[in-house]
Amino acid sequence: MRDADLKALTGLCARCGTCRTVCTLYPERKAEIAVARGKIALIDAAMGGEDGDAEAVQEALADCLLCGRCERACPNQVLVEEIVMKGRADLAEEVGIPAWKRVLFGKVLTSPAATEIARKAAAAGQRLLPGKIPTASGLHYRFPEGLGGKGRTVPKLPAKGFLQSLGEGEAVTGEVMLFVGCVFDHVFPDVGRASYETVKASGKSVAVFRDAACCGLPAMVSGDRRSATSSAEANVRRLRDAEPGAIVFPCGSCLLMFRRNVFSLIPKGAPMHDAAVFVANRAVDYASFMLTSGVLELLPEPPEGERVGEIGYHDPCHLSGTLGKGPEAREVLSRTVGTGFAEMAGADLCCGYGGTFNVRDYPTSARIGMNKVAAAARGGTKVISTACSGCVLQMRDMAARTDPALRVVHIAELVHQALFRK
Amino acid sequence: MNPEALSALGSLFGDRLRTSLETRICYSFDATAKKFLPDAVVYPINAEEVRQTVLLANRHRFPVVPRGAGSGFSGGSLPVHGGVVLSTERMDRLVSIDTENLYAVVEPGVVTETLKVEARKRGLFYPPDPASLKFSTVGGNIAECAGGMSAVKYGVTRDYVLGLEAVLGTGELLRTGVATAKGVVGYDLTRMLVGSEGTLGIVTRATLRLLPHPQSAVTLLALFPGNRNASDAVNAVVAARVTPSAMEIMDRTAIDCVQDVTPVPLPGGTGSALLLEVDGTTESAAREADRLEEACRAHGALEVRRASDARGRDELWNLRRSISPALRRIAPVKLNEDIVVPRSRLADMFAFLSHLSERKKVRIVNFGHAGDGNIHVNIMISGADADETRRAEEAVEEVFRKTVEMGGTISGEHGVGISKAPFLEMEVGPLGVAVMKRLKECFDPNGILNPGKIFLEETAVRARSSHQGS
Repeated sequence: MRDADLKALTGLCARCGTCRTVCTLYPERKAEIAVARGKIALIDAAMGGEDGDAEAVQEALADCLLCGRCERACPNQVLVEEIVMKGRADLAEEVGIPAWKRVLFGKVLTSPAATEIARKAAAAGQRLLPGKIPTASGLHYRFPEGLGGKGRTVPKLPAKGFLQSLGEGEAVTGEVMLFVGCVFDHVFPDVGRASYETVKASGKSVAVFRDAACCGLPAMVSGDRRSATSSAEANVRRLRDAEPGAIVFPCGSCLLMFRRNVFSLIPKGAPMHDAAVFVANRAVDYASFMLTSGVLELLPEPPEGERVGEIGYHDPCHLSGTLGKGPEAREVLSRTVGTGFAEMAGADLCCGYGGTFNVRDYPTSARIGMNKVAAAARGGTKVISTACSGCVLQMRDMAARTDPALRVVHIAELVHQALFRK
Repeated sequence: MNPEALSALGSLFGDRLRTSLETRICYSFDATAKKFLPDAVVYPINAEEVRQTVLLANRHRFPVVPRGAGSGFSGGSLPVHGGVVLSTERMDRLVSIDTENLYAVVEPGVVTETLKVEARKRGLFYPPDPASLKFSTVGGNIAECAGGMSAVKYGVTRDYVLGLEAVLGTGELLRTGVATAKGVVGYDLTRMLVGSEGTLGIVTRATLRLLPHPQSAVTLLALFPGNRNASDAVNAVVAARVTPSAMEIMDRTAIDCVQDVTPVPLPGGTGSALLLEVDGTTESAAREADRLEEACRAHGALEVRRASDARGRDELWNLRRSISPALRRIAPVKLNEDIVVPRSRLADMFAFLSHLSERKKVRIVNFGHAGDGNIHVNIMISGADADETRRAEEAVEEVFRKTVEMGGTISGEHGVGISKAPFLEMEVGPLGVAVMKRLKECFDPNGILNPGKIFLEETAVRARSSHQGS
């Protein structure tokens, strides 16, 4: 690994250990290699010419949820997410295949028992196998062939995605652009639809971003910098050319891509940089848009005394944590469901999804996720609402496995329900 | 390490023995920015595994270096002679809290804050509060005898350790001390182990004294034109017979450092700041806060800010808490010392440090626990300029000499480790060192435990020929 930028970033780490207190993974691993300080020491050693095993370092860097909790707690403001992503990208160039893929194809599939589990899961998830998923979609990172994981519940891929359900010529141009993202288009089109119809209720003309290349985050976190950059460039170019007044993101991770991560792929001085800034300045989370759009004024008075405190909000790490957009979603919820909303236990704990992490180590991801939803349920929450595609995927799986009565929804679905209540 | 030893550890620990370079790198550092690679890392989950490790170490003659959170400032957990790092992070059970007799029993890997929070839930109080309390472990705190802000009123870790269970260098499991309020049977082996930096024994369980939790607290931030006023105010507070639960001082160097990085609004001409806290009942805390405020104003405070609600107190703490992060921003390397002088000599020491900084042409940032006379002296250097580094090291030595001359100690709470080993004799004298070595001999005849610490000369594990261990 030879990367001057990386060196400048890791140099700020004082090895103090604060990251150990907030790391989502540390309680699972109880080993220094799991936390930011350990990973940074590894990267420093690798850059310092330590004669290590690049694949083992890659493996260590893959073992991270990128929840960013360490970064926000760090007294020296070390940019851990950026370091881990850069490290993964550098190593992918050196070693080739991202670590989790090797784990999946190499280790898991060579043990006969694991092969059997993987086969069964693949059979259950056959609707997700290639052919169904557009190659431009980020979903092939989320649902690789032979998707493993004992006990995993796989969402049924609906016959039609959200974009496909739009009429010819519908929502092609407009003042507001809606970026639904792969998951809310292909896997949970109801969320795509609810977002679309509630944004449209603002009275503004709405365009839905079509032929969307994936936002690029799954590729980026897998260390596939080239794919991520080409997605980012294509998206930024098309979004800028459409000249929208605002670009609304129902998914917090997609938003993070355009608000922050894009700048490490399209840095200052790059030809597309100005376009990326243009897009970033207009990119907004679903809740913030709702608060300024006038839609909430159209809502009927929230029912008093109905399902009091049963609806909670899960803070997506990227949205509430990194981008600081936790209060906005809560405000939307209060105005939509009134006393139905209450702070849920452990709201700001990571759901354990971590994008490709969930594929790489499903049992750990599931333990973190099940602890999360179980704590919420114990606290009396019956509906977990959130605003990120990864969190919805993960918590629906975990709810199905722990408490089938527990529902996991996107806040747009609640707004939609209140707005169009029959 | 020989393959036979590693294979024996493998049978003992299974996949809780790690020998990959990647894991070894992750256990090669602490908060000192120094690096020493261990040969292996083990994660015991009970005292028996610790005992077996030390027995194997005696058989095969490899060093065993206990490590909590690796957050120390003196190199106490660094494997300077390689060997096995024994991480206590998986021995993290809070065994029990006795709410009638007011003590807790914990394993060494329990994070200090976890203990404080669990005690608090029961209306009880575990006072030690090193700045690292959110991640440092009780085991590490005991090994280094960690202090903290509240030491001025409540004392340090040592004052809360009633009894210990520890594996000695011989592999014997020793139980010391009591689970009662007092006990004077025989030598105080508990105190012997506290602060011994893992060189005499590895703590596997601790019985810790708890107090009733104080009802409320008031925080004051007093801003002065200079250190002399602030130090006089500190002495006036003591003379007023009030014992604050925190009395932190920041001199101009520390204030400037924070203002450079994360500015906090302060009156013009602020050259020194005192952060004071009193706790007790709501009434007594308010009354004592009045007296502190008076003392500060009487000694030239430009302004005194006061808060008793959580949020307001938090804001006042901001200035103090911003120092350490800010330090990293002004220079990449800090030589971080934690000298203690008699409280009445604080102003003299600050004046000395100011001249020293000019004389040696190195930036020195000073802050610390004024109530204890404990100053954190941070000499900030680039690390890339050999001449600057030499001047900084000379400055450190001068600081230590002056400290001892003033009747102080060269380390209040960080421990000797490797960074202060060259200065041990300066403070404790040749006989002091000799007696300590005799004690070491008695607890750890083969030099298995944490070799290379505290004492200057080579203290590597002894070869089998010199001592036949178990």
